[in-house]
Amino acid sequence: MKKTYIILALLTLAAILPIFGKGNQLTCSGSTTVLPIAQATAEAFMDLHPEVNISIRGGGSGVGIAALQNGTVQIANSSRRMKSKEIAAAKAKGINPTPYAVANDGIAMVLHKSNPVKNLTIAQIKSIYTGKIKNWKDLGGANLPIVVISRDVASGTFEVFNEKALAGAKVESSAQLLASNNAIVSTVGSTPGAIGYVGLGYVTADVKICTVNNVSPSETTVKNQSYPLSRQLYMYTNGKAKGDAARYLLFIQSAAGQAIVKKQGFISL
Amino acid sequence: MKHILKVIVMIIMIVPALLAAQEIKLSAEMWNRWTLENAKAPGDSSDVTSKNYFSLERGYVGLEAKFSETVKGRFTADLFSTDALADGAGLKLKYAYLDFANLLPIPDLTLTTGLQKVYFGTIYDWNYTYIGKAPSDEYKLANSADYGVSLNGFIPGGWGEYALGMYNGEGYKAFGTALKDNTEPAFLANLRLTPIPGLTVGGSVMTNSVERKTKLSDATLNAAYNEQLLLDGLVRLAYGPVDITAEYMSKNVQYANAPAKDYTATSLSMMPVLNLKAYTGSDIQILGRWDRWDETDNPSKVNLLTAVTAGINYNFMHDESANPAMQLQLNYTTKSYDEAESAAAYSNGLKDSSQLMLQLKWRFANTIK
Repeated sequence: MKKTYIILALLTLAAILPIFGKGNQLTCSGSTTVLPIAQATAEAFMDLHPEVNISIRGGGSGVGIAALQNGTVQIANSSRRMKSKEIAAAKAKGINPTPYAVANDGIAMVLHKSNPVKNLTIAQIKSIYTGKIKNWKDLGGANLPIVVISRDVASGTFEVFNEKALAGAKVESSAQLLASNNAIVSTVGSTPGAIGYVGLGYVTADVKICTVNNVSPSETTVKNQSYPLSRQLYMYTNGKAKGDAARYLLFIQSAAGQAIVKKQGFISL
Repeated sequence: MKHILKVIVMIIMIVPALLAAQEIKLSAEMWNRWTLENAKAPGDSSDVTSKNYFSLERGYVGLEAKFSETVKGRFTADLFSTDALADGAGLKLKYAYLDFANLLPIPDLTLTTGLQKVYFGTIYDWNYTYIGKAPSDEYKLANSADYGVSLNGFIPGGWGEYALGMYNGEGYKAFGTALKDNTEPAFLANLRLTPIPGLTVGGSVMTNSVERKTKLSDATLNAAYNEQLLLDGLVRLAYGPVDITAEYMSKNVQYANAPAKDYTATSLSMMPVLNLKAYTGSDIQILGRWDRWDETDNPSKVNLLTAVTAGINYNFMHDESANPAMQLQLNYTTKSYDEAESAAAYSNGLKDSSQLMLQLKWRFANTIK
């Protein structure tokens, strides 16, 4: 009987301990594409709810998902859907990854501003990224070698691009692999002959967007998926979001939150 | 000298393939261990220290090459302390395989060929939360890696995973003449389901045979020939900081030409882990393991072992995904044989024993291309 009491006491202690010391701290990590949305909405949310502190880190979708699996963040930001392997690993650990769409996005193909090429087909993009087309003159442009810029493999944007544009093919070995959307824009903007791809929110006046299959990435074409490189951006929680995480996600999906999404250059839900 | 030559040959073989890779990841995992073992020799009333040593139990050096989004290769060599070789250090090839995804029109299915994981029980994803091995590895029921071909994948939606495999059946250490005239491959099926988050149920079946029914030299019956049926069932419960795995295994061995040698080995393991990170702020785990191992039900040789382990892990220097780069592990294990058993031949002539192990494990992985 005495043992039963001790076990009950220990179980009770184990159950109530997490209540202490956590405060209103919310941690998010993952996709660098989702990062500006997360940062801007978190700032606005914390202005409305000063008692909540939200810390946000990048690292890439894969990093955020692994952190959610390890139980070290409450929200994983991801620019792609989780894979079956990742969901299975999370579920086995008792983590139930639950997606919340926070924005729509198109992966924009960006070129140097001096490049006269206005449109690329998916087949041409694949040929460029797999090294079959190496000069812009083969695409109606100037006689200029193509400088291929891609994202690193921890990037969800890379995975979506690889699936939708390259159908899983290997990116040519001479491609430069960069760790962030900003780095892509900066490199393409300063390299004549360069081509890269970024989330719409990262496009600046330093680069030029080209249409894909003669469709430009707009609110309409991304929402109706006629733009070939459309996708949704997600935040994942363990099970249905509760407490501050639920309030934060509701805020992002609200009109006020979606206005911030638009302001960041992305497309609302 | 022999090892240096082996390393050079490996490098010559691997480098051209790596040059073609889109991405290369270099990884390493080292286990520095101190072991103190006390044991009771037959006839002794008190324990004596039977082992007290430092060692490098594992020194994995791995290369993972991604040739495309659908083709990946993995190569892992293990450098380790051993008394089997004069220079005290061994080198063995642990993994050398290629993964082909999307080869068949089934989502999340991979065909793996080469020296690869054996998808049996918990052995293929054993993460060494305990210093000790997975039960099937610990009791030599199945090999952790073997040469073969497998189809392995995940059920869409994260409902679980599966594998079908065909292997040599004698493990990664056996090759060429060491294959015991074995012309029959081993076949494996594995299924794990996670119907609700935190509950995993699974099972594996493997059939194998050792040696030939008749001797190749003179076609006489071979008494060493045997057919094996290996079964595994597991349940894992994970809720919050608690993670408990229970695994049952059996190995039925039938000697077609010497039925008196037939036997069945069984093992039952319970492994609870409690993660204290939510309570202490530090990544600390306390753990336990209880094993019941019956080496054989053949009355001519009986060994019934109960092994109990208690341990603590301190994980530190985490990467950005919160995976620890370093782990300090302390395990205390007692092994006791049933008093009633009549076994005469215990390992090293010793009977019950206890073992204290302290291990510093460190690992890294970097994308170098």
